[in-house]
Amino acid sequence: MEWMQLPRTWLALLFAGLSPAVMAEAPSVGETCYLDGWHRPLLCHRLALTDAPERPELAVMVAPAVSETDEEPLYLLAGGPGQAASDLAPLLQALEPVNRQRDIVMVDRRGSGRSGAFRCDIDEQLSISLEEFAQGLAGCYLARPEFADSLSSRQTVDDLEMVRRALGHERVALWGGSWGTRTALLYQQWYPESLSELVLDAVAPIETKVFLTAQAAEKALRKLERDCSRDPACARLGDWREQLDQLLAEWDSGAAHPIPDPLTGQPAAKPMARWELANGIRAMLYDPVAAAQLPFAVTQASRGNFAPLAGLSGAFIHAADSMAMGLTFSVACAEELNRITAAEVAADSRDSFLGTAFYDLFRRGCDEWPVREKPYREPAPRDHPVLLISGEADPITPPRYAEEALDYLEDKQHLVVAGGGHINSRRGCIPRLIADFLAEPSSKLDVSCIDSIRRPPFMAAEFGPDLGAVGEMKPGEGAQ
Amino acid sequence: MKRIKAMLHGPMGALLQKELLETWRDRRALWMAICFSLLFPVMLAGGSIFMLKKHTEESTRLALLGADFAPLLADRLRSDSLQVDALEEGEPQTLLAGDYDLVLEVSEGFAGDYRNFEAPPLYLYIDSSASSSGRAERHLQERLGALQQLVVQQRVTARGLAPQLLAPWRLEVRDVSTPSRRGAMLLAAVPGLLILTLFVASLATSVDTSAGERERLSLETLLMQPLPGWQVVVAKTLAVASIGWVGALLAIAALVSLMPLMPLAELGIQQATTTAGVVTMGLLLLPLALLVAVVQILLALRSQSFKDAQTQLSILQVAPVMLLMVLDVSRVELEGFHWQLVPLVGQQQWLKTLLIGEPVPVLSLLAGSCVTLLLVAVAVRIGAGALRRENLLSAT
Amino acid sequence: MIEVQSISKHFGAQQVLRDLTFHAADGQITALLGANGAGKTSCLRIITGLLRADSGTVRVGKIDVAAQPLAVRRQLGVVGDREGLYERLTVKEYLTLFARMQGLTGERLRQSLDEVRGALELEDLWLRRTRGFSQGERMKVSLARALVHRPQHLILDEPTRGLDVLAARLLRRTLLRLRNEGTAILFSSHVMSEVLELSDRVLVMAEGRVVGAGGPQALMREAHCDNLEDAFVSLAYGSQREQVEGEPA
Repeated sequence: MEWMQLPRTWLALLFAGLSPAVMAEAPSVGETCYLDGWHRPLLCHRLALTDAPERPELAVMVAPAVSETDEEPLYLLAGGPGQAASDLAPLLQALEPVNRQRDIVMVDRRGSGRSGAFRCDIDEQLSISLEEFAQGLAGCYLARPEFADSLSSRQTVDDLEMVRRALGHERVALWGGSWGTRTALLYQQWYPESLSELVLDAVAPIETKVFLTAQAAEKALRKLERDCSRDPACARLGDWREQLDQLLAEWDSGAAHPIPDPLTGQPAAKPMARWELANGIRAMLYDPVAAAQLPFAVTQASRGNFAPLAGLSGAFIHAADSMAMGLTFSVACAEELNRITAAEVAADSRDSFLGTAFYDLFRRGCDEWPVREKPYREPAPRDHPVLLISGEADPITPPRYAEEALDYLEDKQHLVVAGGGHINSRRGCIPRLIADFLAEPSSKLDVSCIDSIRRPPFMAAEFGPDLGAVGEMKPGEGAQ
Repeated sequence: MKRIKAMLHGPMGALLQKELLETWRDRRALWMAICFSLLFPVMLAGGSIFMLKKHTEESTRLALLGADFAPLLADRLRSDSLQVDALEEGEPQTLLAGDYDLVLEVSEGFAGDYRNFEAPPLYLYIDSSASSSGRAERHLQERLGALQQLVVQQRVTARGLAPQLLAPWRLEVRDVSTPSRRGAMLLAAVPGLLILTLFVASLATSVDTSAGERERLSLETLLMQPLPGWQVVVAKTLAVASIGWVGALLAIAALVSLMPLMPLAELGIQQATTTAGVVTMGLLLLPLALLVAVVQILLALRSQSFKDAQTQLSILQVAPVMLLMVLDVSRVELEGFHWQLVPLVGQQQWLKTLLIGEPVPVLSLLAGSCVTLLLVAVAVRIGAGALRRENLLSAT
Repeated sequence: MIEVQSISKHFGAQQVLRDLTFHAADGQITALLGANGAGKTSCLRIITGLLRADSGTVRVGKIDVAAQPLAVRRQLGVVGDREGLYERLTVKEYLTLFARMQGLTGERLRQSLDEVRGALELEDLWLRRTRGFSQGERMKVSLARALVHRPQHLILDEPTRGLDVLAARLLRRTLLRLRNEGTAILFSSHVMSEVLELSDRVLVMAEGRVVGAGGPQALMREAHCDNLEDAFVSLAYGSQREQVEGEPA
């Protein structure tokens, strides 16, 4: 595989889970506008920011409530960091019950989406090795060092607070996904009076070092192993985990194999790098649909047929196009990478298929992205009702984070989706549970319906899932 | 103003008072007006609640014959809206006649043929004469389609191709309707029904005050009073219109107060009718109420008997509503200024606009109402002439 | 004084009044005596302005009916052949409203109402709706309505039809009182005894014209009969025969 595909793959592994979307028009104040992924008209505002050196404008998009009520609006906070809230438009389908009574507000944070995306455009270039990529980043940084240094969670939360006041919202509810949960939790620390309830999907608690992902990814893979072994068709594939370990171990010593481009079918000149393969596997764990094909793909690869693995990686191509890389590194380097110690990296990567493959990218990138450290204070207790949603087999924000690092939240409920990956707000009955929670945040939700959310059927062979096999896992079995 | 006051204190006032007392003391007519006025808002609200309930809560029952030949299929088809019963055997016709909406039959070699890419058939038995058939098929297609997409995706992936090759483009639908405008569909019938309410509510009264009075021989006494004929027609028109108008107001009030109970938001509809809009709706119906009343009185005076009058007016009340429906369906551009000058059409258009919370052009509203009132005046003149007709009196 | 001057009236091809001329003087009760179909009702309706004559003039208190029908109606009290009451109104409402339609207001209105209530013994009926009233009660209310504006002229179409004894007596008493007060009263009837008892002057109508006029006694003399009925038959049908016989030419 060409190096040019590197950014595709590793960006995908970072940010997969939420469909991206790109806006065609740029509407001005309070105009009717549309976002890809949602068919109904929105109201778009542009709020000028006079304090900043480059005087950017914030893009604010409002999906107006169907009926006018005095319910607090729901603000959607996107992940990344680097994803734009406007990319969350497809989520509006699932949030339709909420949208009946509440405005849903999307604010593209500074440096993302339609608020002056800080892109770097490295993924457009033909290169590149990890070193070349780092050099590309350095160039991007040097072009706008002040701007890069100005971007932070604090700034984003202050901007959201300004938008809240500009739109005349007394208090707002928040939905955060992935890194958006971090933004939401910080918002809650800094402006508790402005918030009513929080819905956090794929939780990145303030004190959790979410860029150390090797153990989380390893656990997600083990859940996949467990669920595969319980499925008769998948179990017949044999010990694919051992084959995977072997593949990774022997990759650099001869197992590597060039694979055809999954879009064009053109053969590649060079095989992909080992760390790229490991990150690719990790990325597939984000999405249960892709994960269900992993055992078969690995078995085939170990026999020298890399086509299924290539096809699987194809699903993530373009998935990260909307990510603003400059913003990603500005925030990640200032708020996360700086607080990770070498000992922690060593502990995290030990006994994992991923190792430091993910961390290394950011470590190397941040060397070329010398923004100031922006540490957080220890979180103070908060009593807003909070709904936490985790995928049991999420390779980056496992349920453990929500369980262990949020003791300071006094009123929280936690949904864990069996076999679930990264971001589950659109699956099964969860949209309804979110609506119920927002309607009555203080009552305990009846969460029994999430037991019926299951992994898709495993790929058994070239023909797909084995319709002739008994494929049923007992409800709840996946949750153990 | 002074003249009107003097008129109301004088003979004309007494005449009007007499007509109003007669009208509002006619319990039968009053009940008819009230019942019809409340009937359609209640039906509309009940209907929409029932429809949504049916739409969201009803699930489809599928009998799966030969489930053992494809156990995973049976397992993955199940959903909240699709209840799957795996049956050993059964006659599709009998099953469809019983509790099942659909019967899906898997043949014996299904799994083997599937594995060999031989595209084995699945037999779906439906009863297209059953009302649930369309919904049931949709429920099955939702599940079967998703499963099919998954299989195709896995097959393509297994051959090293990215699944997005199967989607050469994305069709992004952009709906330009607003939540309040989406109400226009549901509320489309309301203007016609409000206008029908005017007709129905004033029907009994208009027959009673004209053909009825004539048959009870009190009309002759009334005509012997020193009052010009137009005053008699005006007094009767006002009395009849009062009950028709109040009926329509009652219907509007019932509709607006039932709206919060209707699952409008669930249907993506915003209740946009404003207080000012409701007041305007009431006011714009007043000239029409007068026109309906005077036309009904004219027709009833023309008719041979009380019975005859009732029959004629029953036809009259259907005709304009049918006309409005035909105009609506025939895609005539009714929004134009000239159309709004036409009584009934104008009122229908304004009501339609106000129901979805949009402002009505004041000029056309005033102009159209003036045209309606002008026609009322013409009809009153004709009515005054009709009262002088000799065959109006009972033969002795 | 009601003056009818050579009026004619057709209903389609049928001629109901032929060059009819008569008068009803003030302080006199004039009876229009005729068989059914003789044209009595049409004649009365022309006087009240409900019908228009094809030719001829009608004056009520010197006012031309065709020219000023409303002015005439203020001088007329009319009791139709069947009293059209409003069953959903009380007697008080009914009389008040009709008095007001005649232009009565204030103290005059109150006085007039008191007067007719006393005169026609309506006290017990006063606050009742007229639904279910007996024929006599209905006539009393109807007469009260005709008199409430104290008209100079009173017209009654078959007033005693269906009345019980007491009501008939009250009617007679009232008419005689009004006559004595100077009112011109014109009533139609085909009941001989009533005509004989009440009327100062009788007009015998047949075929749309007056075939005999004068006091009851004078008529009997004229017809050489000793009772009014025979006189009537002689005048009415005798003339018809003449008419029929005279016409073939």
